[in-house]
Amino acid sequence: MSSSGAALVTVRNLRKDYGSGEGLVRAVDGVNLEIARGEALAVMGPSGCGKTTLLHLMGGINRVSSGELWLDGKRVDGLPERALARIRRREVGFVFQAFYLMDELTAQENVELPALLAGRSSGEARQRARQLLDQVGLADRAGHLPSALSGGQRQRVAIARALVNEPHLLLADEPTGNLDTNATLDVLRLFGKLHESGLTLVIVTHDERIAATADRLIMMRDGAFVDEAMLSGGTRGDLGGLRGFGGEG
Amino acid sequence: MQQEVLLALLAKEASQGSQLRTRLIQALGPLGEAMNDGQIYVTLGRLERVGLIARHREGGSLSERKLYALTAAGQERVAEWLAEVEWPKPDLAEFHLKLIAAARAGLADPIGIIAAQRRELLRRLRGAQQAALDEDAGSEAGLLLEGIVLRLQADLRWLEACEQSWSERRRTR
Amino acid sequence: MTGNSPGWGRLLLLWRLASGDVRRHLVESVMVFVVIAAAAATLTVSLALSGVTNNPYQQTRMATAGPDVIADVGGGGPAPVGGQASGSAGGSPPSVIASLVGAPGVTAHSGPYPYVYSTVRFGGHRVDVVAEGRDEALSPVDQPKLTHGAWLRPGGVVVEAGFADALGVRVGDRVTVGDTDLRVAGIAVTAAVPSYPSSMCHLACGMAVPQDMGLVWVTRSAASNLGVNATTSYLLNLKLKDPAQALAFAADNGRMPAPGSAPVLLYAWQSIRGADGALVQIEQVALQFGGWLLGLLALAGLAVLVGRRMTEQTRRVGLLKAVGATPATVAVVLLAEHLVIGAAAGAAGLLAGWLLAPLLTGTGSGLLGGPGALSIGSSTIIVVAVVALGVPAVSSFIPALRASRTSTSSGLADEPRVPPRRPRLLALSARLPVPVLLAIRQLARRPRRALLNGVSIMVTVTGIVAILASYGYTHPSGGGGGIVNLRISRLDELMSIITIMLAVLAGVNTTFIAWATAADARFSSALERALGASGRQVTSGLCIAAVLPAIPAALAGLPLGVEVYHLLVKAQSLATPPVWQFAAVFCVTLLIVAGLTALPSLAAARRPPAEVLQTA
Repeated sequence: MSSSGAALVTVRNLRKDYGSGEGLVRAVDGVNLEIARGEALAVMGPSGCGKTTLLHLMGGINRVSSGELWLDGKRVDGLPERALARIRRREVGFVFQAFYLMDELTAQENVELPALLAGRSSGEARQRARQLLDQVGLADRAGHLPSALSGGQRQRVAIARALVNEPHLLLADEPTGNLDTNATLDVLRLFGKLHESGLTLVIVTHDERIAATADRLIMMRDGAFVDEAMLSGGTRGDLGGLRGFGGEG
Repeated sequence: MQQEVLLALLAKEASQGSQLRTRLIQALGPLGEAMNDGQIYVTLGRLERVGLIARHREGGSLSERKLYALTAAGQERVAEWLAEVEWPKPDLAEFHLKLIAAARAGLADPIGIIAAQRRELLRRLRGAQQAALDEDAGSEAGLLLEGIVLRLQADLRWLEACEQSWSERRRTR
Repeated sequence: MTGNSPGWGRLLLLWRLASGDVRRHLVESVMVFVVIAAAAATLTVSLALSGVTNNPYQQTRMATAGPDVIADVGGGGPAPVGGQASGSAGGSPPSVIASLVGAPGVTAHSGPYPYVYSTVRFGGHRVDVVAEGRDEALSPVDQPKLTHGAWLRPGGVVVEAGFADALGVRVGDRVTVGDTDLRVAGIAVTAAVPSYPSSMCHLACGMAVPQDMGLVWVTRSAASNLGVNATTSYLLNLKLKDPAQALAFAADNGRMPAPGSAPVLLYAWQSIRGADGALVQIEQVALQFGGWLLGLLALAGLAVLVGRRMTEQTRRVGLLKAVGATPATVAVVLLAEHLVIGAAAGAAGLLAGWLLAPLLTGTGSGLLGGPGALSIGSSTIIVVAVVALGVPAVSSFIPALRASRTSTSSGLADEPRVPPRRPRLLALSARLPVPVLLAIRQLARRPRRALLNGVSIMVTVTGIVAILASYGYTHPSGGGGGIVNLRISRLDELMSIITIMLAVLAGVNTTFIAWATAADARFSSALERALGASGRQVTSGLCIAAVLPAIPAALAGLPLGVEVYHLLVKAQSLATPPVWQFAAVFCVTLLIVAGLTALPSLAAARRPPAEVLQTA
């Protein structure tokens, strides 16, 4: 059966192994998943459960050991490095847990970089970067180096960088891992906006607050999915139930 | 003390009041030391009156051991209770006992109970969070909602811990 | 690690820390070893040579009763055969000889012996020679010592040993001296005249002559026969009461030619020795030049090595200090591994040099005996030790000092040094194609490394060009003279060995620098690939980054090589290699640099970016 029309990402029996023999570690152990366009998916689990590895596989920055990975109707798991690079700069935006911003580049230059690597002219790249920095609320910090930015600001620069080439899919690894409450709220709002604009999101997190913003939540443990929850549907309705919380209803 | 806890503790087998008390103390640890003995018997009496449990007398002679056992209605009520996802006031003891009772009686998988509860809390968290974000900065309602969100988050963390612990227990059994 | 722990325990711990580190960075350690060992070997050989020249000459002098002063009377330069005769023609020696014999300080003499410039024909070769007329009886001063055959008899000729070696004659062969057919009666060595490939001309003419002259001894009658159409001069051997005064004696009693009187040229035995050693001197110069080149290359390579280890060591320092090590301990651990490797490499280099030296210090058969048994004296060992230990110590010292001063927390926090920021370069690079963009940014991140690469390339190219120049000089396009020119062949041999060592060391250095550059760029390359650059773009970027500084470096090395060669050899004729050789060296160097950089980068580009990023 070919990939279903609506799904942006399809994963079938995906495996990623490290080591061999007695030292074999199944980081991702036979995972099946379908992500529809415009869906926001959160993946939660204890550390070492393989959620980051899964994200790397979906983003084409790590190699699949076995199984199928389809992206936008095309099979991606066996592609050579060159084709994967193309995917990385056209289809997928990745936000790393450690940001991986270049220390010697300003926020603006950091965001421009993927656009330049994709072949856009320097003027185009600059304009696009400025737009995105505006969108994430950092227009006044465009000329600052990462060392002059707070953790939350750096996170937003990383998100802007991931979006500069207008990907269909945004993959974020622990986007609020190192942030305080206010920064977390900023990032929450940003993801909300992105989700509303139709972007497909996959967020790996152990922060329940971030996970709660998703449409769907998947729990992972030891490389496999163990639970799934649909969270969307009637967000306002739940507020009614909260009345009974503070005291006896 | 929720009545349903006592019902669930009787699901496996009929017990004396003192045995129930022992089990409760075992499960609650330090929290159980403050428990009032009399409360157990009062609750048991209430349950008997409503018809959820019945008292049997066993053996003859001097000590009349009173054994309490579930009625059919009582069993139904227990099953209902186990499936409920109403989140109690911030007294985690009830949920904790629910898990223990369910595991003992073999009525339901504690992990399943935890997962179901977690789903529910996540939904609530989502609702509260969105409501909080919609509020203007510094509004009073916003503050309350933030508090609710944070508590839900804390509860979810504890549920995660429950899940880990019960998975461990199942593995080592 | 407090002061209370026993000394042995601490030593053991230090040993474990250091050796563990070496094992983890095995490739680097091997490279450091090779680089230092090669430099040490070259230094050893060149230093060993300096002790060589005196010994064989002394042996020959004693064995032949060599003279303290040699007088060349009645002719100072080579007269072409059949050319104009000047000075006295044939017949009896001038009277000035008597005055020399009777001069104060002279205790003994032999001669005067007539000599003429002639030619020797043998085996298809025709070579210019000096033919000295001798008695069949033995002389008290300067009696050439036979290595083969017997001394003169009528119809016979004795050939000087170095010359005989080059010409290929043996006892019993027939040679034609001038127009006379003679039989080789014996082969001998002398201390009175510089041995082949040097000759009288090296003293008298005062410049290096490509076509060297040989020396043969014939009977007096044969000499006068040869002297019929050529000028006859006379050689007088003098022994002084105080041999050390020979130079002063020669200066005082020499006389320039005046109209009507015979020219008298005196040479002290020290000058003969110097001329004899000319061959070895050139070798020594060449080896010193090689040694400097290799030393510079070694420094460049080591500087790169140490620069890399600095950032790693900073974190180690933090860890060590956090577990209670004093700054002194930290510094010792940092230095220990490099010093140990340096010591081992220095020892290996000494050994290699000791084995190589005999190959190069053969002074030609013209002197008795080889170089002294072990010409590696204590001074050589000290110099090599200083270099082998000093270079790694100095290049580790600064980072060790800096590292031990950083606060423990900043070391542990692993604060990365922010690379320098050049906004204009960044803006410029944005307009260029992706590989060039990556290359420029890579260079801007590590400007000092680019400089070191450039220095290394420049030194290598300088060496290659100097070697090419020397080949061009000793093998002029007009072709050689004919017989094997020992000095040229010796130089060739030497130059080949230096070329090989240079090639090996330059190869190791360039490989190491290329590998180090690719390895240090591993993280940024992986990140660039994760952001969408293709592996090919990243590799091209690294190659361009390697080649860009190499271009001016190689261009600078070309004329520098020619200059260096002229400086060392002091040749008056400008022997510049042809343009096509320059172009070839330039292009090949750039290709090799690009190739060596591309290989590790291509290998790294096959790994998925996530693996590299996570292990950073």
